[in-house]
Amino acid sequence: MQRRSAARLGPLLLLLLLPVAWGAGPEPPRAAGELQVSSRLAGQAARVALHYLNYRLGSPSALRALGQVRKATVKTIPGIGHKYYLQFTTEDYKSSQNVGTCLATVLYLKRKPRPAVNINCTYTKDQKQTREDDYSFYKKLRQQTKPITGNDIPDSYGHIEPALEPAWALAVAGSSYLMWEKSTENLGYFMAQVKNVKQWITKDDSIDFDYLVILHEIPTQEMISCHLRVIWTPGHPLKVKYFCLSENQQSESEEGSGTESGSTNGIFNEEEANF
Amino acid sequence: MILLLIYPSMIFSLFHNSVTLLVHAQYKRHDVVVLAPSWKQELLSSNPLDFWLHPSNPALPVDIRVPFPSLQSVKVFLESHHIEYSILLEDLQVDKSTSLMQMVNNQRRERGTGNFNYGAYHPLESIYAALDDLAAEYPSLVSKQEIGKSYEKRPMYILKFSTGGTNRPAIWLDAGIHSREWITQATALWTAQKIASEYGNNPSITSLLNRMDIFLLVVTNPDGYAFTHTNNRMWRKTRSKNSGSLCIGVDPNRNWDAGFGGPGASTNPCSESYHGPSANSEVEVKNVVNFIKSHGKIKAFLTLHSYSQLLLFPFGYKCTNPADYNELDTVGKAAASALASLYGTTYKVGTICSTIYQASGGSIDWSYDYGIKYSFAFELRDTGRYGFLLPASQIIPTAEETWLGLLKIMEHVRDNQS
Repeated sequence: MQRRSAARLGPLLLLLLLPVAWGAGPEPPRAAGELQVSSRLAGQAARVALHYLNYRLGSPSALRALGQVRKATVKTIPGIGHKYYLQFTTEDYKSSQNVGTCLATVLYLKRKPRPAVNINCTYTKDQKQTREDDYSFYKKLRQQTKPITGNDIPDSYGHIEPALEPAWALAVAGSSYLMWEKSTENLGYFMAQVKNVKQWITKDDSIDFDYLVILHEIPTQEMISCHLRVIWTPGHPLKVKYFCLSENQQSESEEGSGTESGSTNGIFNEEEANF
Repeated sequence: MILLLIYPSMIFSLFHNSVTLLVHAQYKRHDVVVLAPSWKQELLSSNPLDFWLHPSNPALPVDIRVPFPSLQSVKVFLESHHIEYSILLEDLQVDKSTSLMQMVNNQRRERGTGNFNYGAYHPLESIYAALDDLAAEYPSLVSKQEIGKSYEKRPMYILKFSTGGTNRPAIWLDAGIHSREWITQATALWTAQKIASEYGNNPSITSLLNRMDIFLLVVTNPDGYAFTHTNNRMWRKTRSKNSGSLCIGVDPNRNWDAGFGGPGASTNPCSESYHGPSANSEVEVKNVVNFIKSHGKIKAFLTLHSYSQLLLFPFGYKCTNPADYNELDTVGKAAASALASLYGTTYKVGTICSTIYQASGGSIDWSYDYGIKYSFAFELRDTGRYGFLLPASQIIPTAEETWLGLLKIMEHVRDNQS
C-alpha cells in the first residue's frame, strides 16, 4: 500500500468520512444546487475521471474501464462551471473483472481547456502483480532490436495480435491523456482503433511509441484521427504529445508530462468491504 | 459474347510495400456459364499470379494472389472477360496474413451449405448466400423477399418467417443501418437461424409464429457495409452523393420522418450525423418505410445498433416521454433482465434522449409516431473497449443473450397486440 505524506492527510480524512456521507444509511440531504444527473452525462463524466486516472497512473497493466455508475450529482458553480460528484465501479481493462470503486469529482470549466478531476479509488488487483506485469513487458520492449510496427489494432474483426498487445495498452494509456484533454461536458471519447504504431528505439531507458489513433466522438459520431507520441518508463509519469486532425475542426495539439493539476490518491490496496 | 457469372475472390498483394488487397466477389449458384478453363492459363501467362485455390470444378470460386504492379492488367483482363469482382479490403499488412487467411478459410468453409460459420464476420455476398441457404433449409417457414434496392443498386433482402395465414400481424427487426456496427448484422443473421430452428422446439416462439409473422432485414445499409469491407471499416452512413458537396453519405438514422432536421442531427454533408436533404431522401430508408406502410399490420419495430449496451425506446427527437412510457419501460427492463441472465451483460434501459443523447430523425421515433407502439432500439456490446471492432469471439454470446431480450419483447407483443 502506498504511503501518504502528511500533506495528503486532508483528502484521506475526507475519504474516511465519505462512507458516512455517501450512502452508509438513508439518502443524505443533498447540498444546495446538486441535481440528479442523467445516466448519459453521469457516464460521460465518470469516463473523463477514468481517462485522467489511467493517464496519471501510466500503467498499461492497471488500466481501468468504467463499470457502473452508482451515484451522480452535479452542482453549478456560478461563473466557473459544472461540478460532478460521482461514485462508480471499475473493471480491469483487459479482463473486465471488477477491480474496485472510485469517488471522483469532475469540474467542467467554462474557461479552461480541460476538465479538472479529483479521483480516489480502491483497487482490488494485486499491485505488486501489476508492477511486475508492467516491468516484464517493459523489459520485452527494451529488448527489441527491431522496432515494433503495426497497423489496425484491433483489426476489422476485433483481433489483436498478441505481440502487439503491449503497444496497444500503451496507446490506451496515452490516448487517455488525449481524451481527458478533449472531453467536455457534452463531448466524450472512446479510443476506437490504433491505425498505426511505430516504436522508436531509444538510447535511454524509456519506451517510445509513435501512434496514429482513431477516436470515436460522442454524440457527434465523428472519427477523429490523432497522432500520439508516448514515452514511458515504468513508475514515472507518462509523457504524451499529440495533435489531432479533423475535417471539421482545426488541428489541436497538446503535451502532457504528468505535472498537470488534478489529483488522485493513487490506489489503496484495501478490501472492497472496508471502503 | 461469353457472360461469365463466376466471381472469383482474389487477393492482390503489394509485396514491396507489404500491403495486401483482398478482392472478393460473389459466387452465384445459378446461371453459370463456364468459360473454357484456359482463362486461368491466359491470365497466368501474362501476369505472375499465385492461385491459392485450385478448384477442380470450374464453377467454384478462385482465390488468386496478385502483385500490386499486376493489378491493373489483371483488372483489365477480368473486365474484358465479364468477370465481376469487387475490392473487399485494401491496405492490409502482410503480417496480418493470419487474420486474412482466417477470413479466406471462413469463406471456404461457408461455401458448403449447412456449414455457415455464424461466429464470424462475413462480407455482404456471404451474408446474402446465407439468407438463401436459410430459405432453402426451412422452406415452409422462411422466404426471402426484396424490398427495394440501395443507392448503389444492391438488393435489400428481408427474410419472412411465417407459418401461413394472410397478412398476419407481424414483428419487424432490422440490423446494420449503420454499416460499421458489424455485431448487428452478425447478430441478426444468427437470430434468423435461431428463429428458424426454434420453431417447433421452443413453445414460446412456436406460439408466436403460429399467430404472427416476423420480418428480418439483416443488412439495412448494404452499400455502407460493402464499403466497410473495401475502404473504410469505420463507415457509418449511406453512400449517396450529396449535391454541392464532395462528401458522401447520409446518416440513415437521422433521415426518418420524426422531428426531421431537429437537434442531434447535422446539416453538414461531411458529418457522420448528416440528416440528408429531406426525410426519407435515402432510398434505404424509403424502402423500409414503404414496406411497413404497405404491410399495414406491423406491431413491433425493433432495430439493432452498437455499441453501448442500451435498450432504448422513444423519443430521441424530443426529450419528453412517450405516452406509453410505463409499459415500454417495464417491457424494456424485463428484456434487459432476460438478456443479463445469460452472461451477466448489463444494459441500461430508457428513452433515447435521456439515456444516450438527443437525436432527431431516428427510426423508432418514426415507427412509434406512425402507430407502432412497441418500438425499441438495442445498442449491443460492448461499452467501449473494442467498440465497433468487437472480436468475432463475442458474436455468438452477444447473439445468444440478445435473443433472450428480443424474445421477451416479442412475447409481450404476442400477448398484447390488438
